[in-house]
Amino acid sequence: MAGTAQILTDDSTLSRIDQNFVKIERVLALLSGLAVFGLMLLAVFSVAGRNFFDRPVPGYVDWIEQFMPLIAFMGISFTQREGGHIRMDMLVGRLKGRALFTFEFITTFAMLILMALLMWGSWAHFQRSFDFAAPMWSRDSTMDIGLPIWPAKLLAPVAFSVLCARLVLQLYGYARAIVLGLENPVAVPLPIDVATQAALEAKTVSGHDD
Amino acid sequence: MEPIEIGIIVSLGLLFMVVIGMRVAFAAGLAGLIGLIAIFWAKKDFAGDQFIWALTVSVKTAGQVPHSKVASQALSLIPTFILIGYLAYYAGLTKALFTAAKRWIAWVPGGMAVATVFATAGFAAVSGASIATSAVFARIAIPEMLAVGYDKKFAAGVVAAGGTLASLIPPSAILVIYAIIVEQDVGKLLLAGFLPGIFSAIVYAALIIGMAMTIKGFGPAVGGFTWKERFASLPPAAPILIVVLTIVLFVYNPFGGEAWGTPTEGGAIGAFVVFLMAAYNGMRWKELRGALLETAKLSVMIFTIIWGVLIYVRFLGFADLPGAFSDWLTSLSMPPLLILVCILLAYAVLGMFMDAIGMMLLTLPVVYPAVMALNGGEMVSAADSTFGMSGPMCAIWFGILVVKMAEFCLITPPIGLNCFVVAGVREDLSVQDVFKGVTPFFIADAVTIALLVAFPSIVLWLPSLA
Amino acid sequence: TEWNVSLWGKRRAFTEHVEKLAELLNEKTGGEFTLNISYGGLSNNRENLDGISIGAFEMAQFCAGYHPDKNPSITVLELPFLGVDSLELEREISMAVYNHPATQADLERWNARLLMPSPLPQYNVAGVGDAPRTIEDFAGLTVRATGGIGAALEAAGAVPTSMSATEVRQAMDSGVIRAASFAPHAHMSFGTIENADWWTTNLNPGAVNCPVVVNIDAYDSLSDAEREALDSSIDEALDYYIEYYNEQTMAAWGPALDERGIERVELAEEELTALRELAAAPAAQAWIEENNARGLPAQELYDLVIDTVAASKQ
Ligand code: NA
Ligand code: NA
Repeated sequence: MAGTAQILTDDSTLSRIDQNFVKIERVLALLSGLAVFGLMLLAVFSVAGRNFFDRPVPGYVDWIEQFMPLIAFMGISFTQREGGHIRMDMLVGRLKGRALFTFEFITTFAMLILMALLMWGSWAHFQRSFDFAAPMWSRDSTMDIGLPIWPAKLLAPVAFSVLCARLVLQLYGYARAIVLGLENPVAVPLPIDVATQAALEAKTVSGHDD
Repeated sequence: MEPIEIGIIVSLGLLFMVVIGMRVAFAAGLAGLIGLIAIFWAKKDFAGDQFIWALTVSVKTAGQVPHSKVASQALSLIPTFILIGYLAYYAGLTKALFTAAKRWIAWVPGGMAVATVFATAGFAAVSGASIATSAVFARIAIPEMLAVGYDKKFAAGVVAAGGTLASLIPPSAILVIYAIIVEQDVGKLLLAGFLPGIFSAIVYAALIIGMAMTIKGFGPAVGGFTWKERFASLPPAAPILIVVLTIVLFVYNPFGGEAWGTPTEGGAIGAFVVFLMAAYNGMRWKELRGALLETAKLSVMIFTIIWGVLIYVRFLGFADLPGAFSDWLTSLSMPPLLILVCILLAYAVLGMFMDAIGMMLLTLPVVYPAVMALNGGEMVSAADSTFGMSGPMCAIWFGILVVKMAEFCLITPPIGLNCFVVAGVREDLSVQDVFKGVTPFFIADAVTIALLVAFPSIVLWLPSLA
Repeated sequence: TEWNVSLWGKRRAFTEHVEKLAELLNEKTGGEFTLNISYGGLSNNRENLDGISIGAFEMAQFCAGYHPDKNPSITVLELPFLGVDSLELEREISMAVYNHPATQADLERWNARLLMPSPLPQYNVAGVGDAPRTIEDFAGLTVRATGGIGAALEAAGAVPTSMSATEVRQAMDSGVIRAASFAPHAHMSFGTIENADWWTTNLNPGAVNCPVVVNIDAYDSLSDAEREALDSSIDEALDYYIEYYNEQTMAAWGPALDERGIERVELAEEELTALRELAAAPAAQAWIEENNARGLPAQELYDLVIDTVAASKQ
């Protein structure tokens, strides 16, 4: 199961687009992380409010449900860029060059088809919860304190469209590698052999105690 | 085509996509979407002018899943548990924990290895993930074991095996995921993991002590710590206890009084406590940003698998495959316990090649109802059941068994992630070396699993109190 | 014709009318028209209306309170302290509102046609510690109650807290809350009665309204015989449901209370009247204003409910 990968860079246009695009993706991922932090603070307020001020956070569950899509979706493209969505690499781990990038192109293309369709599907899901004529534009609301849900539902198609752009970029990178016969193309995650990958993973969690 | 046939064909297609290296979350999502299209189109007898209708309905059905499945209070435990792990590491609690374990326990035969096992068990109580635990202890514990003369491979094996405790002893992201898939009480499942986790640690320790007493030159006992030194090692490690107590008290108060809140709050408050410690320990925005980014990446990865697989599960629901599988399994003329053992063995094989979360999400929607049916149904009473436990208790028991199997797979070849991680940290060790060193622990795990199957009360005692 | 039906959870009293309907349709049409009932396989309970609108399945059950903005018209049935005290009356007011053209138009936005209610008893409160006997006793009472019931109890001075139903038992054991508002079957299945000391018999703060709907296109494309079979089976299915609920669930409820020594708290009539003035009237007023803004004939719907209740008490 691969969790990490290397992405090479140079000063080609493709790589520059990749490097600029990842800045946006990183901000979105950080938004995910901040939402986790927010979730933690929300619980602190809830517990403190209940125990010390006799005043629990109204609609605690509703607010959690609003935070969750932020955590779950915003970093999806950043994770794809870094090769962080897990997969079985028993086959691709053994391939190299054109053969490897052909497989990568096919599976990435399949991902793009799925995500394009889900952009449509999740947009439709958003649309059913949204009504310009209604108060707060809301046609779907949370159970307890009636928060409008459309902003949270909108996050899915937004994050998915960023991912689609990333996938197009990667497809171009793979196609270029196939056509030009590149061994180490830029802007796409390159599978590293499992041991190197494990070393990288270990470094990210250990460095502090050195 | 019958829905069941479509279900089987699409499931084989999913397997193919996973094998050729498509990322699991998206392979499952695509398989589910294609399956839905086939089901809806089949309803219209595959008429050419009905394809667009089938596509639209399928895409809109699948398009609901990401938001609707992810916006859940129970799932909010996962990112907070992950955050705890990253912050605990910045709070610098690991080294203190190992020192304390060493000074208090290392006097037994095989002492340093036993101390390592209990230190990993202690860290498991703040870490929700196995791999992180192994990586951290590979740095701290292996050098100390080598210094007193342990075999290098065995020392690596201890750390790889010790890491697996993190997913049984709460907090555990994997137990939360199981609870959500099977719609059982998260708090009870977390409680249920506690004793089997400790139990696993004890079996590991017993194995090490037994080896130390029979194998010459295995690794000495390390004594000579004064009581003063022992007590001096406690305060730096004490914060771990505070975190553990915080989480435990929110889930279930072992002192007989009232618990302090709900599991959701417990996870978040635990994270907050560790955050304060890390901040006190010198963590600044740069480190916090790093921890948040890592948390986000891991959470997004997990959530994407969750909604991706749940699109596939939605399709399974329309194909009614779980019902069919469950009917088939309960119609077998084999002893139910044998069927259960076969299921667990199948998990062992599957787990060699897959990661734990993906494996559970893909299989449980089909396997879980079948196991429940085997026991006599979800609401069956203990007296009327096959395995001698009520429906909800059977759900907990089976969950702990599955998670223990998934953890077992983290140390078995060919793809035992914990072993890769340990080998990665120690450049003088190859993956094969670690697999060799960890082999004795297969026996320990096999014993543990057999005992958990034979004596369900190890699993069920704590949750039955709550 | 085969219809897919999206319910959730397990087969229980709450779903018996749909099961009965399936049985009746099968009989009446000689197996020509069947219902394929799925418990949770086809959709999330809170997305059942979406599924109907998409056309993913033909029949579904949901509760108005899960998503008030999706179905504002029927949330009138969830207003607190309407004075409903039986399943029969709950059925009557539900059908009255379902048959109102404004309600039908509201649900038509989801391509949904209201078929029948799933009448639930009042969400009376069970709790630990001292039982509330007067309005003053509600001051500071931490209670798990959502939506309109929560708002009403808050008006009486209670502190409503929201949490998922599965966490309620633990929250009550742990003192996070002291009371919870559920229908009796939920008090039993979520375990709140295990440690409760008291249960209010006549507070009758309100209930959730959970209709069964069908996809309009699917309904329109039924043959005349099939539609006739469906329409003519509804009353029978509902009769069966109410009988089943009263005989199975409510019959178990009393002994369950006695077994655990739970006190039945009966509030005095003047306390209830005061409570209604304090909590019910403002909630109704707020509901009417809010839903006038949505373009619903809110006052008319509210009066319809109130008049139906009053007529039944004559
Ligand atoms: Na843990
Ligand atoms: Na393995």
